[in-house]
Amino acid sequence: MFKITNFCYTRVCLFFLIAASVGSCTKKFDTMNTNPSTISTVTSSQYPQMFAYAQQTPTLSPDNFEIGEGTIASVYSQFFGQAAQSFPTDRYVVVQGWMPACWNPAYTSAVPQLKTILEGTDSKSAENALANIWWVWVFHRLTDYFGPVPYSQAGNGQRVVEYDRQDSIYYDFFKKLDAAVTVLKTHAGEKPFGSFDLVYGTQSDPVSAWIKFANTLRLRLALRISAVDPATAKTQAEAAVASGVMTDISTDAYMQKSTKTYNEYNGLAVIAGWEDIRASATMLSMQKGYNDPRMPIFWQPSTADGQYNGLRNGMYVSEKVLTGNTRPYTSNMGTRWCSYSNGVWKTVYNAPQDIMHAAEAYFLRAEGALNGWNMGDNAQNLYETGIRTSMAQWGITDQTAIDDYVSNTATPAPPGDLMNSPAVNDYPVLWDADPVMQRKQVAQQKYLALWPDGMEGWAEVRRTDLPELYPVLHSDNTDVPVGTTIKRMPFLDTEKQTNADAVTRAIQKLGGPDNCATRVWWDIK
Amino acid sequence: MRVKILSMLFLLGLIGQLMAAPTETIRGRVVDQQTGKPLAGVSVTIKGKKGGASTNDEGWFSLNIPSGSATLIISSVGYTTVEQLVEAGASNIVISLVQDQKGMNEVIVTALGIQRTAKSLTYSAQRVGGDQINEVRDASFANTLSGKVAGLTITPSANGPGGATRVLLRGNRSIQGTNNALIVVDGVAIDNQTISGEVKDDAGSTNAGQNGSDGLSNINPDDIESMSVLKGATGAALYGSRAANGVIIITTKRGKQGKLSLSLNSGVSAESAFSIPKLQDQYSQGTNGAYTTATGYSWGAKATGQSVTDWRGQTVPLHTYPNNIKDFYRTAFSTNNSVGVTAGSDKVQTYLSYANNNAAGIVPNNRLMRNTFNARIGVNISDKLSVDAKGTYIVQNIYNKPGVGGDGLIAANVYNIPTSVNQQDLKVYKTTDITGVETPTYWTSTDPVIMNPYWTLNNTHHDENRSRFIGLMSLKYKFTDWLNIQGRVSSDAYNEFNATQYANNTVNYARQPGGYYSEEYNFVSERNFDVLLNGNNNITRDLKVTYNIGSSLLDRGSRHRITAADGLAYNNKFDLLYASTLKETVSTVKRQLQSVYGTAQFSYKDFLFLDLTARNDWSSTIPEPYSYFYPSVSVAAILSDMMQMPSWVSMAKVRGAVTRVGNDADPYLLAQTYNYITGGFGGYIASNSVKMLPTLKPEITSAIEVGTEWRFWNDRLGVDLTYYKTNSKNQLLKVTTPASSGYSSMYMNAGNIQNSGVEVVISAQPIKTREFSWNMTLNYALNKNKVISITPGVPFLFLGSSDNVRTATPRVAEGGSYGDLYGYKWQRSKGQYVVDTTGLPVYTTDISSVGNYNPNYTIGFSNTFNYKGWSLGVLVDGKFGGVVVSGTEAELAYMGMASYTTKYRDNATLVLSGAHPDGSSNTRAIGAQALWQSVTQGNYAKAEFFTYDATNVRLRELTLGYEFKRLPSFLKAAKLSFVARNLLFLYRGKSILDIPGIGKRKLGIDPEASFGNSNYQGVEYYNLPTTRSMGLNLKLSF
Repeated sequence: MFKITNFCYTRVCLFFLIAASVGSCTKKFDTMNTNPSTISTVTSSQYPQMFAYAQQTPTLSPDNFEIGEGTIASVYSQFFGQAAQSFPTDRYVVVQGWMPACWNPAYTSAVPQLKTILEGTDSKSAENALANIWWVWVFHRLTDYFGPVPYSQAGNGQRVVEYDRQDSIYYDFFKKLDAAVTVLKTHAGEKPFGSFDLVYGTQSDPVSAWIKFANTLRLRLALRISAVDPATAKTQAEAAVASGVMTDISTDAYMQKSTKTYNEYNGLAVIAGWEDIRASATMLSMQKGYNDPRMPIFWQPSTADGQYNGLRNGMYVSEKVLTGNTRPYTSNMGTRWCSYSNGVWKTVYNAPQDIMHAAEAYFLRAEGALNGWNMGDNAQNLYETGIRTSMAQWGITDQTAIDDYVSNTATPAPPGDLMNSPAVNDYPVLWDADPVMQRKQVAQQKYLALWPDGMEGWAEVRRTDLPELYPVLHSDNTDVPVGTTIKRMPFLDTEKQTNADAVTRAIQKLGGPDNCATRVWWDIK
Repeated sequence: MRVKILSMLFLLGLIGQLMAAPTETIRGRVVDQQTGKPLAGVSVTIKGKKGGASTNDEGWFSLNIPSGSATLIISSVGYTTVEQLVEAGASNIVISLVQDQKGMNEVIVTALGIQRTAKSLTYSAQRVGGDQINEVRDASFANTLSGKVAGLTITPSANGPGGATRVLLRGNRSIQGTNNALIVVDGVAIDNQTISGEVKDDAGSTNAGQNGSDGLSNINPDDIESMSVLKGATGAALYGSRAANGVIIITTKRGKQGKLSLSLNSGVSAESAFSIPKLQDQYSQGTNGAYTTATGYSWGAKATGQSVTDWRGQTVPLHTYPNNIKDFYRTAFSTNNSVGVTAGSDKVQTYLSYANNNAAGIVPNNRLMRNTFNARIGVNISDKLSVDAKGTYIVQNIYNKPGVGGDGLIAANVYNIPTSVNQQDLKVYKTTDITGVETPTYWTSTDPVIMNPYWTLNNTHHDENRSRFIGLMSLKYKFTDWLNIQGRVSSDAYNEFNATQYANNTVNYARQPGGYYSEEYNFVSERNFDVLLNGNNNITRDLKVTYNIGSSLLDRGSRHRITAADGLAYNNKFDLLYASTLKETVSTVKRQLQSVYGTAQFSYKDFLFLDLTARNDWSSTIPEPYSYFYPSVSVAAILSDMMQMPSWVSMAKVRGAVTRVGNDADPYLLAQTYNYITGGFGGYIASNSVKMLPTLKPEITSAIEVGTEWRFWNDRLGVDLTYYKTNSKNQLLKVTTPASSGYSSMYMNAGNIQNSGVEVVISAQPIKTREFSWNMTLNYALNKNKVISITPGVPFLFLGSSDNVRTATPRVAEGGSYGDLYGYKWQRSKGQYVVDTTGLPVYTTDISSVGNYNPNYTIGFSNTFNYKGWSLGVLVDGKFGGVVVSGTEAELAYMGMASYTTKYRDNATLVLSGAHPDGSSNTRAIGAQALWQSVTQGNYAKAEFFTYDATNVRLRELTLGYEFKRLPSFLKAAKLSFVARNLLFLYRGKSILDIPGIGKRKLGIDPEASFGNSNYQGVEYYNLPTTRSMGLNLKLSF
């Protein structure tokens, strides 16, 4: 009996000793559980670095660019042929696993930072205006891919995020751009976000450049809805031009790219180095036919035969593997992005990425003028200035060559590809008397001027059905068989899995089945 | 150098000898009555006195006794205890012990290092002796456990010697955490994480292509005295959270009282690639039946020696080289040498050991060097106070660890060599231009990230260096016979330095001029301090209680840093000083766990046992009050002692247990934070895209287990049956959220994963004569996994790092089973395959399950035959059921290299029997290239076509040993063995799809070839082949 008492006593003593020591030690736990490598709170002094992130990420890191833009818009615009033999997207196959690459960076990288800045700054500040303009730039690319997208509830941190109709998104774009320009005009000479503004931060007068950027974007969006809502389109386009759009290459917008980190590399250059893409037969048909001085800048002769050879879009693997269609026999992008030596492609990782250019503004105005809108000049002048501005943008200084191009009556030529393609269409460069042809010419020259921005190229091809491009050779997507063109990307599987109810309602807002044949709101032709 | 180390070891051992102070000494030897063999480790004590001795390896003991005579108590596990009267000064007493009912009194080391007889265990535990793992050796000893324990699944390391091994007990229970068992060495858990990267997808690019090393492989098997495997959470409730996956308890050797003895274990082995896919040997590089060097395919002309221009521009006769892969891998020779010294008196016992492992990989240039120094000293300071201290220092260097997966890693580069390119010619792997810049030379590849494998061997490197110190000191004080307290402090810390280099012009990896070089530093430390009070009392004459009560403080931390030079200012100067751009990645982990725990075992008449355990943890990683509690209850009854049984039943036991184990989380998951991201323009700041969980709760695993154990005919036959069911709930899951919410994922507590299964261990001794015996053990384990729920709105989660399906991806889906592999299939309509109008298969547009990567059941069948000095061991290991999806097979089919791609080449006459979408029967004929390039499009394959039944039965181990009888006097024992692992397949599965006209294809790879030890399993994609090893082993005792 004695023994038992003894052991109980010892045990109880020990237990209390231990329990007491534990109780007093948990005080350090909260400090211990604070990650020394992360930041707990941000203030306005962090906003410049947050804005830079919101700018850099939606222009897509190489991996995201490759599958989110490079395998989709880059080939659906027919700016590029698909050289990667195993990629099926060129035959209109939707690879859902790749889709988050174009979606996630906008929502998880750009939106949270932009929201923090928008909520943390005065709505009359230049920083707030820049965040709004960039918000529109990010979302117009997203909504043009899919139609309805989460917009007003974007970044709400909830398990359900509602999608907005595309028309309401577009009308909000105009509101935001208008307000931002109004704010910016009161901040002349300022340098919002300083050098962390990766688009215009290095310019002497970034505020006026941003005003032109915002107005040019407004003009682009106005034309986008010119068929579905001509009245709003006219008002917005005329207001944009009156407020001042880009007029020369000095305010052309590029995203700075860096060799410092992989995610800052120029995605297009990287995939050119990877040989995912090659010149399209479409581009070469136009450029060979027009003897375009930009051709040797856009492309390089093939390494095997020294010729400019392109790929048709929509080839089967069995066609892609034919020697003449393989990488050595086709043209890669120009030396601005990559160069070939010793059997290896060297990539220019920090080639600036094209965002928006003055040349496009001229073609937008030319089309507006054809619509009878007040665009500050007549259609022909705007068209020709557009061509000359594009030449200047690509560094062409040979005036004779430019003059010859503008006055060229030649039409696109058979590109000489392995599939023996005919000329892609028959539009000359020289301004035609026929208003129908004039629209085709504006579209064609704008198409060449938009290269290599596949997202914008594909959106405009869908809206105008111009220029007439090659039909895809094969389609592996029964919704969009050969002879039709792909009209949008279906909603993401990841959203259907995680945000199912909202996607169901989004399909109603889309107004058609959730496939590649359903047109987005502005695409009514 | 080695001589010096050895002599130092001797010296240290002698110190132990000198500290002894003998007065009146008796000497004797203990032998097995039946075999006459000496018995080691037998306890010899003096009746009524404290202290005692144990016998050394050849059975000798010496003991001080009071003048006159004394009664010795001689006891040993598995033998009946003997009492014998001896006279002082007696020498050369020989004591024979009679074998006890085998197993009943076998000692099992359980939680907290507490030793128990197998009889009193209330849960399932299986013992593995040291000799079962140190004869057939591997650079990672865990790889040699396969088939030896029921319910233990070993997935061997993936990256050559020293890679991490997946050690799974009773199936997978954690969706996103580790499922690896906890490793405990001498009572203290060691770090077994894979710090430098787990391969979690088949690309090998976003995640490291090199799976890091684990902690388990650092253990020298020759230091292991024995291992106990506690399979369920039951036996391990006292190790806390990390033991929920089961525990492998390793007890290392300690010094023994008695004469100095030295043992040597020396082995040499040759390893070769075990299973390589068969290549076709008829058709050349090219496409559509024509030879060309413009493509990397092997769909070219039939090679009949015709004259062609090869990739180097030389005119050569066209041949195929079907042994390209086989010839690339080498036969790798490894040596394993270890020396152990034990010496001791009744005051001080010392065990010192040194091991040297020099293991070459089958990939040329790959090698592991490991030196392990171990010292253990036990000191009896007084009758009441004793100290046990141990220090283990491990230095491990792995040179040129090969990567697994695709995208330009070694296997991918080898397997892509076209059939008509001789791999020998690729040994000239570079050219140097006039500026001195080296560029790789190779055939034209269809995938621009594929390179000359010899460039990869010679111009890319991944080296790992680890130095690790494990120290343990424990102090034990005996208050009385029945109560003692033990204080223990231990530290396990290692530094790891990994260097990776890619020479300039290495496609995809050296992205900037000059080349790429990175250094990775890891510091990992684990410090444990605990106090444990142990006692036992007789409450009444029949009722005894044994109890332990303790408290511990566990500090864990790590510092991880990668500094990378992306671009080098001087070509291929692999030093950070030459970096043109430096990139830093840093992470830090700090956490603390404080615990109070207790156990009590009540034993009634030594046939009825009740175990109670309870533990409360306070963890720094969960929110206030940081606390969680978990108990367990278990019972066992020895039926054969409780009631009269027929004489042929030697033991009958039933047992049952109910357990709960709590688990905390990783640190830093409570508060939302922002990150700084390095960049070229002053860097970026961004909010964390993972939504944190301020209300995080600990994860709970509850388990029930019942078992019964029967032994018959004097233990000639034994059967152990266990049924268990575990449910893991409240798992901390990182759930994908709609990205549109601004977060890519969020943490939540959810899920209910259930594992239930049966384990059967049958041991038998069918033949037992004086000279010949045959022992066999059969381990059978069946595990059924069910994902009962995840959480509303989250129907499934991916186990890999991405949902990017190249081949297949493992997914955990509600109603499914952990490890279901999802991929694209051949579409069926009304029971028929759907074929398109061109005659090619039509595929499903959504991914669905093609099978599960876990086997349905496993069988390990080991046999030992002894005849005089000879012993023969045969271990057959079988995994039944489960599938593997082979990306390698898919790629080889796509490239026109797989052996089965020769059918329908010359004649495109394959009409796939199936129906067109309109319902009409297919009549369109296709050729081989069209078919294989449709079902696999390079990196992206339709999984169902390359899904194979992973069932395989293999001759896992074969040992033939001879124990030398006539030995020179200085040598006490000598055994020479021939050992072999992974000798041959007795059975291997076939493809699950019977393609009409093609048939079922045999699996070319070993289904055990893995990416490493993460939960991403069942997908094989350019993995390194597993290896077959054969060697000789010599054990000597002096």
